[in-house]
Amino acid sequence: MASRAVLRDFSGEKLYAHRLRGAKRMQIDDAQATMALETAQLLAAAELQDHLMTVTNDLDRLQRLIDDAGEALMCHFYGASQNVNVLMKLGEGQAAFDPSALKKAMEHLGGAITALQFQDMATQLIAHTNKRLRNCADQLARDTFADDEDGAAVLDEEPLRPNPVTQDEMDAGSCELF
Amino acid sequence: MHSILAVDDSASMRQMVSFTLKNAGFNVVEAIDGQDAWEKAGSRDFDLVLTDQNMPRMDGISLTKKLRDNPKFKTTPILILTTESSDQMKQAGRAAGATGWLVKPFDPAKLIEVIGKVIR
Repeated sequence: MASRAVLRDFSGEKLYAHRLRGAKRMQIDDAQATMALETAQLLAAAELQDHLMTVTNDLDRLQRLIDDAGEALMCHFYGASQNVNVLMKLGEGQAAFDPSALKKAMEHLGGAITALQFQDMATQLIAHTNKRLRNCADQLARDTFADDEDGAAVLDEEPLRPNPVTQDEMDAGSCELF
Repeated sequence: MHSILAVDDSASMRQMVSFTLKNAGFNVVEAIDGQDAWEKAGSRDFDLVLTDQNMPRMDGISLTKKLRDNPKFKTTPILILTTESSDQMKQAGRAAGATGWLVKPFDPAKLIEVIGKVIR
């Protein structure tokens, strides 16, 4: 947010006029005022690029956290379901065995499957957002700092399609047979 | 026992799909993307293919087209299970020869119900 504010302030004509008036008061010429303005714009762009890169790094970290959490949840999910199956088999044939509680436990585990798909959806959403932000940072560098004057700068590609994940809740999706 | 080829580049999704299908009594073979699925489909028969859309190397629609070009899979049900829900993508799937389009996340009972409707 700070970067945006800086960019807006230093690019506005109102502020430019104010700077010129200030320059006159300070007894500096127009060329110096223009240079000061351009420098401020470059600094603001650099700051904005820093913020974009920080966000992309945070998203990478978030992805690792989600992967770890997903892996742990899956591990516990399988552990629990395997134990329920073992208990069901142990109880089979015993007269006093009532499998209803274990069946209920298995139903609960089955019910978690829909929500456990969050990792796949979150991963796709993060990857798309990350790609877009990296492309913005690269574009900013190229346009503001003319980084690729020699054509050597590598730009992260802009996503060609809209975000594939449009769901905003973990309810089951639609089914359509053709 | 019916045999299903489950295709997804996400390991967690493959696990969820396999768990659901195996619990329902299906035999499941997993593939990590369209290319892997295409190679596995060449060496054995499947009663149904359940594939993701967005995958590296080969996506679900490309896989569907290739399978439909193979006489062995001309009539095999192919379901696309994806986060994509746009009509444009669905139409592309239909044109490629997919049997149905399921949007993630899937509900296990619903998935089994849909498979039961299309599998022979």
